[in-house]
Amino acid sequence: MNRLCIKITGESGSGLLSTGEILMKAMKSMGFYVVADREYPSLIKGGTACFILNASLKPIRSLAKRVDVMMAIDKQSLVVYFDDLKRGGLLIHGYERPLGVKDIHALAAERGVKILHRMAREIAEENGGNVLMVNVVLAGMFWKALGLDYCFIEAEVTEQFKDKPKLLAIDLKCLKAGYEKADVQMKVEVPKMAAGGVAGAKKTILIDGNHSITLGAIHAGCRVYFAYPMSPSSSILTHFSEYAVKTGALVKQVEDEISVVNMTLGAMYMGTRALCATSGGGFDLMTETVSLAGMIETPLVVVVAQRPGPATGLPTWTAQGDLDLAVHAGHGEFPRVVIAVSDPSDCFELIQHAFNIAEKYQAVVILLTEKVVAETNMNVPEFEMGKIKIERGLVGQAEMKNLENSDRYKVTANGLSKRWLPGTDGAYYFANGDEHWEDGSLLEDSPRTAVMYEKRMKKGELIEKNLPEPVVYGVKKNADISFVGWGSSKNVMMDVIASCAERGHAGRQAGVKVNYLHYSYVFPLKTKVAEKFFAENKNVHLIEGNYNGQLGNMLEAKLGRKMRSRMLKYDGRPFFMEEVEAFVKKNLRK
Amino acid sequence: MDSKTLQELEAKAKKLMGFETDKKITWCGNCGNYAIHNALARALVLENFERKDFVMCFDVGCSGNGSDKFEAFTIHGLHGRVLSLAAGAALANSKVKVIAEAGDGATFSEGVSHLVHAVRNNYPVMFIHHNNENYGLTTGQASALTRCGVKMLGTPEGVMVEPINSLDFVLGLKPSFVARGFSGDVDHMTELFRAGLKHKGFAFIEVLQACPTYNRLTPDAWYAERVRNVEDLKSYDRTDLWAARKIVQDVDKEIYIGLLYENPEKKDFVSLLKSREGAVTTPVEEVKHYDVRGLI
Ligand SMILES: Cc1ncc(C[n+]2csc(CCOP(=O)(O)OP(=O)(O)O)c2C)c(N)n1
Repeated sequence: MNRLCIKITGESGSGLLSTGEILMKAMKSMGFYVVADREYPSLIKGGTACFILNASLKPIRSLAKRVDVMMAIDKQSLVVYFDDLKRGGLLIHGYERPLGVKDIHALAAERGVKILHRMAREIAEENGGNVLMVNVVLAGMFWKALGLDYCFIEAEVTEQFKDKPKLLAIDLKCLKAGYEKADVQMKVEVPKMAAGGVAGAKKTILIDGNHSITLGAIHAGCRVYFAYPMSPSSSILTHFSEYAVKTGALVKQVEDEISVVNMTLGAMYMGTRALCATSGGGFDLMTETVSLAGMIETPLVVVVAQRPGPATGLPTWTAQGDLDLAVHAGHGEFPRVVIAVSDPSDCFELIQHAFNIAEKYQAVVILLTEKVVAETNMNVPEFEMGKIKIERGLVGQAEMKNLENSDRYKVTANGLSKRWLPGTDGAYYFANGDEHWEDGSLLEDSPRTAVMYEKRMKKGELIEKNLPEPVVYGVKKNADISFVGWGSSKNVMMDVIASCAERGHAGRQAGVKVNYLHYSYVFPLKTKVAEKFFAENKNVHLIEGNYNGQLGNMLEAKLGRKMRSRMLKYDGRPFFMEEVEAFVKKNLRK
Repeated sequence: MDSKTLQELEAKAKKLMGFETDKKITWCGNCGNYAIHNALARALVLENFERKDFVMCFDVGCSGNGSDKFEAFTIHGLHGRVLSLAAGAALANSKVKVIAEAGDGATFSEGVSHLVHAVRNNYPVMFIHHNNENYGLTTGQASALTRCGVKMLGTPEGVMVEPINSLDFVLGLKPSFVARGFSGDVDHMTELFRAGLKHKGFAFIEVLQACPTYNRLTPDAWYAERVRNVEDLKSYDRTDLWAARKIVQDVDKEIYIGLLYENPEKKDFVSLLKSREGAVTTPVEEVKHYDVRGLI
């Protein structure tokens, strides 16, 4: 067994998240590679929700839809999610009225599902707890059923409640009781690791995307953060603000997204590194200012955490639907860069590159993330400090006194002019949102309007030339099947590349050769590597989390080639492994 | 202007000239903007501001068209958004004075939310509200401050709803500094701007501004007849919010100008931030790698 898939289900606000996190962290500290995400509705209390946890001895990045073990905290969620439990899987629950779960138990018998049922509430109460500790009792049962070493979960519960000693004592008693009451052998297959866990996994950190963006930004010298809360970007504000006293950064929740982005731009104009993050709807409000940044050639970095639209859409679910928005946001024409992240390492590094690119080219950079990247925890190598140099593209001190006002927007061969900061001894200039000439003075005459317009647009060519090409994962050429994608698709593709390569996959002795062309720098779209990829692989498909195939359309138009087909998804869920594996099987060339 | 100040200005005439543009100015003859910029230049010189010491942020409108007519570091942003742009700039570098300018259309319609929060947060910005009681640049539509009954482009029957009382609105937000001048009195404006430049938090300075083209009702002469200097009010206490709210009610007969309200107790936004306590550098000076390993 390669991967143990677990789902914890319950009512939103029923302690589901904390239970999930305890199990996730305990398994990580044992030495597993884990991936964990949660599904929940956009409300505070009451809807059904779940926490999905996959664990493996090898690095994994995505989630499977169907699970080996399901732990249900309440009956409603048990019913809603029961079909995700595999045949022969294990169901753990503590629902009290046998009649209420009669049907589910019958279904379970039919599917060979084993059931571990104990009166969890009673157990909690016997140990000084109440209905709120049902989840802890179940966690104990879970741990026992899987035959895992008790000390790991005990340590994690202790950590979780360390600030509440009274509660902790009760929780530990409930945990232990659950563990001891689950006195039957449930025979769940768990990836077997040597004592001490997997060495590689031990050295990793367990972190989610938004947390990593925050850390990457702080590392890159981002000293100012403005935001207006919007899922799934909000936790960046949480992290930034919680770190503020330590980092000394200036963090402010502002009245609306229009103000957020204007304040960010104002701060960037003065010469600090400032950041803001939002989701599609908030970004819609920001777009006029994106255009302003383009006009005054002032660096601007905006993180857009995607969720399904249009309108309010599905606030707590995932999508890759805003690529077109990012590429086209803002009136008029001006160069911009769109970067998309896939995992915590990406988040940490690409936000640093985003700042460098924005400053070097005096341009707008939009960093796209997705709910599933923002909130999925996974093990990644420890973040490396100082690996990515800070590049600001500013005029050096020595040159400052020789500057002319007109250097600021000087018409140059590659479109890039000098940038220096207001509040310095350098020549003054006008950062003018109206069309302007080289020192920023307003102009309306025809020849110079065109010249200045071209100067700005030329920067786009310069940027395109210098951006990294997409990267091929899996075999370099002659794959049995190939995919092109961006963002979180990389995670599922990496896992599918590995699983398909296994002997006997899809009935093939040597396994199936899958490869994947991944765009981190999505716009301007680079085509050299893609050109080669299409030439060397004959069965190329698109994988994308939207309806139109937004990257696919851009790439096909630019390359003049067509993909075999498109695997598209727009139901708020990420691509799960089984779905992509099934697609592979169906679309293999005979 | 007293003779001492006059002498000082004369001595600094070269500096003053330095802010003057040789470009063709695009404001109408007698537009209040000339006087406002003149007063601002004087105030900056009298307060010994060098170019590196301040940044001017302009909204879009007639006032905004002055953005390249003041020889200094300027930024010309979007309509209604100048207060946010200025606040961001000011928070990033508190060693540089940030001055923002916008019309009444920008301030009380398009960007009124930013006004509310700039006052509430007491961002370190000096703001000049160019109140010409109409949308000048778009050729004379009504603003939220246009008086009832006035016929404007787009409201040929005359404005039907009551205008907002700008200062009463701002005072309702518990500001730290509210002043008013009028474009017919450069000396008085100069004094207000000097006070505004020295104020640490958000200084709201309204200028009742002549718009000879679209606002025939209230030219400088109309205001000159009606303005009363608050300093002439004997027992006026400018830290008394209710006294201030009371005297700003009249915008027709006796219109009070001067530094109308000040709350020295109200801290500016940066001073409130725990994360910036004791900081001697500004965020602009702090861009470098930070080791984040300790944070995780
Ligand atoms: C988003 C947006 N909407 C509308 C405009 C058009 N516009 C330019 S200036 C202006 C109003 C100007 O009035 P005010 O702010 O009072 O300034 P004034 O010209 O009177 O100084 C408008 C509506 C714009 N530039 N941007």
